[in-house]
Amino acid sequence: MASGLETFIVQTLNGLQFGFVLFLVASGLTVILGILDVLNLAHGELFAFGAYVSVGVFGYITGAIAIPAGGGIVTNVVFVLAILAAIVVTGLVLVPVGVIFESVFIRPIYERDQVYQLVLTFALLLIILDVTKFIWGDVPIRTDSVYSGINQIPTSEFLGINFPTYNVFAILLGAVVVGGLFYFFERTKTGRIIRATAINREMATAIGVSTDRVFTLVFALGAFLAGIAGAVRVPPTAATLDMGTNPLVLSFVVIVIGGLGSLRGAFVGAVAVGVLRSWMITFYPPGEVAAPFAIMAVILLVKPEGLFGTWGETA
Amino acid sequence: MSPGLVDRDGETHVRVIQGLVLSKRRFAGLLLGVVFLFAVPDLVRVAQALDISFFQLGVIHRGLVFGFAAVGLNLLLRHTELVSFGHAAFFGTGAYTAAVTAVYLDVTSLLILLLLATAIGTVMAGIIGALSLRHTGLYFALLTLAFGQLLYAIALGQSALGGSDGMPVRPGEANEPLLLGQSLGDAYGIILYYITAIIVLVGLLVMWRIVNSPFRYALDAIGQDRTRAEFIGLPVRRYVWVAFVISGVYGGVAGGLFAVFRQYVTPAGTLYFLQSGDILYMAILGGFKTLLGPLVGGVLLVVLEFVGRSVTPYFEFLTGAVLVILVFGFPEGIVGSIGEDGVFRRALARGKRGAADLRENPSVAGDWARRIGGGLRRQIDESLTTLRVIVFGVS
Repeated sequence: MASGLETFIVQTLNGLQFGFVLFLVASGLTVILGILDVLNLAHGELFAFGAYVSVGVFGYITGAIAIPAGGGIVTNVVFVLAILAAIVVTGLVLVPVGVIFESVFIRPIYERDQVYQLVLTFALLLIILDVTKFIWGDVPIRTDSVYSGINQIPTSEFLGINFPTYNVFAILLGAVVVGGLFYFFERTKTGRIIRATAINREMATAIGVSTDRVFTLVFALGAFLAGIAGAVRVPPTAATLDMGTNPLVLSFVVIVIGGLGSLRGAFVGAVAVGVLRSWMITFYPPGEVAAPFAIMAVILLVKPEGLFGTWGETA
Repeated sequence: MSPGLVDRDGETHVRVIQGLVLSKRRFAGLLLGVVFLFAVPDLVRVAQALDISFFQLGVIHRGLVFGFAAVGLNLLLRHTELVSFGHAAFFGTGAYTAAVTAVYLDVTSLLILLLLATAIGTVMAGIIGALSLRHTGLYFALLTLAFGQLLYAIALGQSALGGSDGMPVRPGEANEPLLLGQSLGDAYGIILYYITAIIVLVGLLVMWRIVNSPFRYALDAIGQDRTRAEFIGLPVRRYVWVAFVISGVYGGVAGGLFAVFRQYVTPAGTLYFLQSGDILYMAILGGFKTLLGPLVGGVLLVVLEFVGRSVTPYFEFLTGAVLVILVFGFPEGIVGSIGEDGVFRRALARGKRGAADLRENPSVAGDWARRIGGGLRRQIDESLTTLRVIVFGVS
């Protein structure tokens, strides 16, 4: 296999992995935007907060069980399951944060000018930023044992490609969450209620849906997804205070590309942005930052409503 | 129509210029404000003698510069009801234009630097406006933020612009911009402050003209109902774009002033989206329904920041908390709250009425207590229901 092709495949997979993380952040943001009509500027900080929480959870779990060292299928499986559990726990920790956000801060001002909602989420962004700084300090923290532990398990070596197992794991996990999310919105009753609320809030109220509960649920879901995204992102990199900004802004780009409130659009947009960004890093580094915005500008000029229009009728 | 005293509805008003007629009290306030603005460098010396640390020329100057940008942002916010979350883009463009022309073209004239900063900032506003104004509402906020972050990322990535370290604005042999070919030396800071004060006054006057023109009513109509505005024949997109560009001009001027005042620009200090948030914050803090509010908010926020940073490392939390209180308690901002029907006046009037009632019939105190108790109980009941709904799914 030519090494150029291998680089291409590896970079595409890397991009896919980042795309999935981006989707987890952007999907929460886009659903909140589509249903509550609130642009949650603090969403990136929820992601960062999740990353910090996950470091603690990972540390607790890797301290409690054996780290794979090249052998033993049982050890490997147990380790992967433990990491999965840790990621889910991180998401669950974020749920009450999202609930408090919505029910205490944002609910009283739905009727007010949009500028107040924006300013309020901006205030919450600042507050979470400093709470994180207060709890974990101003230095980057990492969990190397998780990353190196999972990489001990061989996967891509079977195909003759040198690709970290953690990234395979992250891609698979991302695919499962994406599938689950689409299943939730397409097939389950709660998902349909949420979509119905998105299409017509008053009609939903008239047939007995408590919009307050739907709003809280949506916010909790968004926080959960952001927490998972943070936990998945941490092992190969590190948890830093400013890590929330980039995913937030790229999520905006994703939402513009995919269309406001469209889950499918968010998925296509996130993968496109992730893969393109990854190619740019290898083949044309200066374009890394500008490329996603370039797609965004093109979409704005050609199809201002985004690739998949508005959300509700289909997920 | 020359300046002087005029009679309006039996009360004496003061005409400052044609069209600007103020009541005596407001004219006194205006006069006081202008005098204060120009007396700051002298007051600073008094403050130093009294050991008041926050009242420094640099702090007030910085507040004026950011507040000026907020005055521009306010045109959009107040009339078209569009929330721009990327105003740092024009501010930063102006600042970086001044820095680049000073460093690479070796332009030493202060006025040319400011002029170029304004021009390029305006062009940038034109481009970003043309792209972002295809949408309204939150979508518009999101787009302006994204474009602002793009500029930030570009400035961060270009080594020619100094990357995250930024670049100095120290052209020529004097190591500072020259005013009309003269090196200002030690007086640089003070003279620049006076220049800023004059620009701020002129800018406010221009903004006052704009918000008292038919153009403003067109913007109001667009802000209230776009479709209707289109139907009565207003060129909605062009007008909104013009308003956006005007607000960008203010951002560009402020950015240029910031560059020559700090003599150093960094991406984080000028282009980062937290700066956009701060500029919006200033407008809300001062009161975005008023003309002067954003400027007052700018100075106050910068002073607050200066004091806050010396007290606690968790300064962002402090600003965030103030912002939350502001949103819930004083949505009209400071200038809006002390106005004729602001929160304070209304509270005062209520207090006066209550005192009169109490004098007449002391038993109303019991009613009040019952009412407060009932309200409190209702609040607690509601929160408990919410809690039950969240925890158990049912009430």
